[in-house]
Amino acid sequence: MVRSTESATTRREFLIRSAATAAGAFLSIGLSPLGNSIAAAQPIAGFTPSIWFTLTPDGKVTMHIVKAEMGQHIGTALAQIIAEELEVKWEDVRLDSPLESVENFAIYGLAYTVNSGSVTTEFDRLSRAGAAGRMALIEAGALVLGAKESDCTASNSRVTDNVSGRSVSYGEIIQKVKIDRKFAYPDDFKAIKLKASGAHNIIGKSIPALDIPSKVNGQARYGIDVFLPNMVYGALVIPRTRYGSKVKSIDDSEARKIPGFVKAVKVDDSMGKCTGWVVALAEKFPAAVKAAQALKVQVDPGPYAGVNTGDLFAEYSQTIKNAAAGANWVLEGDVDKSLAGAEKVLEMEYTTDMVCHATMEPLNATVHVVDGAWHVYTGTQSTSFARMTLTAYLSKVLGQKPEEIKIYVHESVLGGGFGGKQDYDEILAAAYCAKEVGRPVKLIQTRESTFATSFPRTPTYHKLKAGLKNGQLVAMNHDICCGWMGPRFSVGKKYGTDWLQLDSWDAKKEDIDQWSIGGSDHWYGVENRRVRAFDSERTTWAVQASALRTVSNSYNVFVVESFMDEVAHALNRDPLEIRLALLNGKGSARGIPNAGYAPGTSSDYYMDRLWISLPWPNDNSWPAYESTTVGGALRLANCLRIAAGRAGWGAKKLPPNTGMGIAVSSAEERQSPTWVACIAEVTVDPQTGQYKINRLTIAMDPGTVINPLNAKAQIQGAALWGTSQVMAERLTLKDGALEQSNFHDYQPIRLVDVPPIDVELIDSGHHPSGVGEPASTVVAPAVANAIYNAVGVRVRHMPITAEAVLAGFKKKT
Amino acid sequence: MPNLTINGQSYFADAPPDTPLLWVIREDLRLTGTKYGCGVGLCGSCTVHIDGHAVRSCSVTVGSVEGALITTIEGLSPASTHPVQQAWIEHQVPQCGYCQSGQIMQAAALLSKNPNPSEQQIVDGMNGNLCRCATYSRIVGAVRRAAEIMNRAAEITNEGASHG
Repeated sequence: MVRSTESATTRREFLIRSAATAAGAFLSIGLSPLGNSIAAAQPIAGFTPSIWFTLTPDGKVTMHIVKAEMGQHIGTALAQIIAEELEVKWEDVRLDSPLESVENFAIYGLAYTVNSGSVTTEFDRLSRAGAAGRMALIEAGALVLGAKESDCTASNSRVTDNVSGRSVSYGEIIQKVKIDRKFAYPDDFKAIKLKASGAHNIIGKSIPALDIPSKVNGQARYGIDVFLPNMVYGALVIPRTRYGSKVKSIDDSEARKIPGFVKAVKVDDSMGKCTGWVVALAEKFPAAVKAAQALKVQVDPGPYAGVNTGDLFAEYSQTIKNAAAGANWVLEGDVDKSLAGAEKVLEMEYTTDMVCHATMEPLNATVHVVDGAWHVYTGTQSTSFARMTLTAYLSKVLGQKPEEIKIYVHESVLGGGFGGKQDYDEILAAAYCAKEVGRPVKLIQTRESTFATSFPRTPTYHKLKAGLKNGQLVAMNHDICCGWMGPRFSVGKKYGTDWLQLDSWDAKKEDIDQWSIGGSDHWYGVENRRVRAFDSERTTWAVQASALRTVSNSYNVFVVESFMDEVAHALNRDPLEIRLALLNGKGSARGIPNAGYAPGTSSDYYMDRLWISLPWPNDNSWPAYESTTVGGALRLANCLRIAAGRAGWGAKKLPPNTGMGIAVSSAEERQSPTWVACIAEVTVDPQTGQYKINRLTIAMDPGTVINPLNAKAQIQGAALWGTSQVMAERLTLKDGALEQSNFHDYQPIRLVDVPPIDVELIDSGHHPSGVGEPASTVVAPAVANAIYNAVGVRVRHMPITAEAVLAGFKKKT
Repeated sequence: MPNLTINGQSYFADAPPDTPLLWVIREDLRLTGTKYGCGVGLCGSCTVHIDGHAVRSCSVTVGSVEGALITTIEGLSPASTHPVQQAWIEHQVPQCGYCQSGQIMQAAALLSKNPNPSEQQIVDGMNGNLCRCATYSRIVGAVRRAAEIMNRAAEITNEGASHG
């Protein structure tokens, strides 16, 4: 707790201290998602040279992981990064999560796990933290051994004097020596020399994930597995609309007949969250579900009650007719002039439907008020935003000042995230119910209410034009209209409190929600190009548009890559050849060799904007690490060559009605690309329009690969996520409500539809970028292009249904 | 008050007989390895063994399973070393892990009935279990590997029997 007041110090210095000097001053907060024990602070006797790990006298190293675990095994990857430079024996490594207390919140800054960005943003500072620990231990180890520091080296948790051959373990060192070494910022940090990519021993190894054993025996604890004494269960009455209804009256006469029913709570929705929510509370969950069904709730259905998906698409196609309403996201050259001078202009419309996260763990939260402090137990992608949102909400509901509200968010393992656990309605509702009933409340959304209150990917509409001249693509215009999620996240502006302000999402492009448009800014060298962004505020609110795995890449890559194939065919050029020619790495596609991680794309950016004191200086001029864009489009072309070669593009003899399709992507953001190419081989049944994906071939260059086996798992999973999106997933809005309710009418991919996936992982040694999402973007367009190459039918809508393929046939013949 | 036998222990369920078995297992007995996913038998997250058969515990009532032998993931193997669990770790199957108790219980029941399933039989046997992380590519391999481990153990036992 002392640390929170030391933030001014830690901004400038990196303290190397051992237990002897710091016992009691360095606290670790134990994670206790179960039971009612509350964030017991316990001093750890040991060596805590940074906030990222603690070395104890038994020689064990506990890595403090602030990223949410939602299936990516992030703790193992981050621990590998630290362990590499710390020279610790992997068997000595443990993990914990230090994010329980307000105090740690101040120390660790923003906890937010999104964008496949964890390894990218943490790699440099964790490497340096590990290296600094090693340097201090070598210095102290030399003292113990009576050796010269320069004669000593560290490996396998030991310091060895290379002259005498004697060695001492890390555990012994910290028992014998007081370490009090300081590293001055920034000079000492810059001076730390990190290992070259070829010299890694732990990074690049397929080490089994540390969290997996607990996931094969039922011991992993998720938010839904929390129990508190005297708690009641909450079940949500399915709201009349996705957003904006108002509860007028509640008749609980039938619910009161259900044994165990406690009460019905109309959730305060004055912040514009949980609109129209009524929660049935009962002693047991089945009773709460029955009671929720028995409650008769009268509502004013609100402003979005009449909205249907079809209306939204119609609105979009009208909106983009007014070019002045659009904002330029990409602008290079003179698009209008070159389109006017083209021999041929190819013009196409594309649309994509809504989809949702449908995490296997339904949304849930448990809230307990103890001595005026709010304890939240849940699995969330951001304990920080959960805390901030709940603070804003309670401030409004209770009429208290934000700084008077004390909140502890106890993080659990997440049963899937995918962008779907960064909205906090369950937490707000559970907190409100806890206040109303005076007992801990465990609110579990049923699968049905999880669908009904999901935060989907927006429907989208695209109009594209390509100017073709002399066999070349000379101009490209892409107009996009959809719901923008950015404004909805602007809690401060939209909800009448200035406590949290996140209303400007991109420093360079103030007017555009980058999360809804990104991915259209592809890496092809097209001299004249423009992307114009149009928003539909009605969509944003009616469907509560939000982020879903790769965010806007998940539709924009489908559209851009499908259209690029149409351009190739219109020019009578091979889709592989034209892509390789355009991925020339020139101009804006050359990449940035050494500019650091661009602000505006990393969590550091949010830290800046939220004025949170940082554990590590947030210095945008930090020079040490290279941009993930280095190499630019040439790295993407390299992936494409490899994927095409492995798939046998142009060489493999294919059966009838079978084709291959290509797609490339640089998700997640233009400033943080992971280079990936995909070839899909698809066979289409011309009688039914049904298609089968025979094989996916994926080549990815994420820079330095931390854990190949796990990276491949992420890539396979992402590829199947993309397969699921193109083949089956579709969420629709009817009369303002989301129509699908369970896995009978919303059908994610199952085992029977899983194609063989060939993954080639290219460890190019550059600064690492994320592997959890990008492969999900390329499958849909590769499949669309393969269908066209198989049978000549172009489907310009996602998902691609058998009906749409069949309709394409009929139109053709 | 229905009397249940779960993982070899006897319990009186403090729940009406029409209560789904899942909620008694999870919330009353706090055997939380069994997960709630859909409540209507569509996802398989809540799969347990009832008299050796893989059953969706969300879709049977406590009243209907009195006298039956119920096994949850916690009772599959005392040291978490069932061949399916071993194979799941070897192949690094789980991602978020939420559906994996159900996947493992499904696979264990499949192999107990068919020690040498073909790929098609694995797909058919496991198709009812959803995994949103889509760990499917590894599930098929892990089921095959579990079959190998089981058959090898059976061979050793048989060898021991014939030589002993």
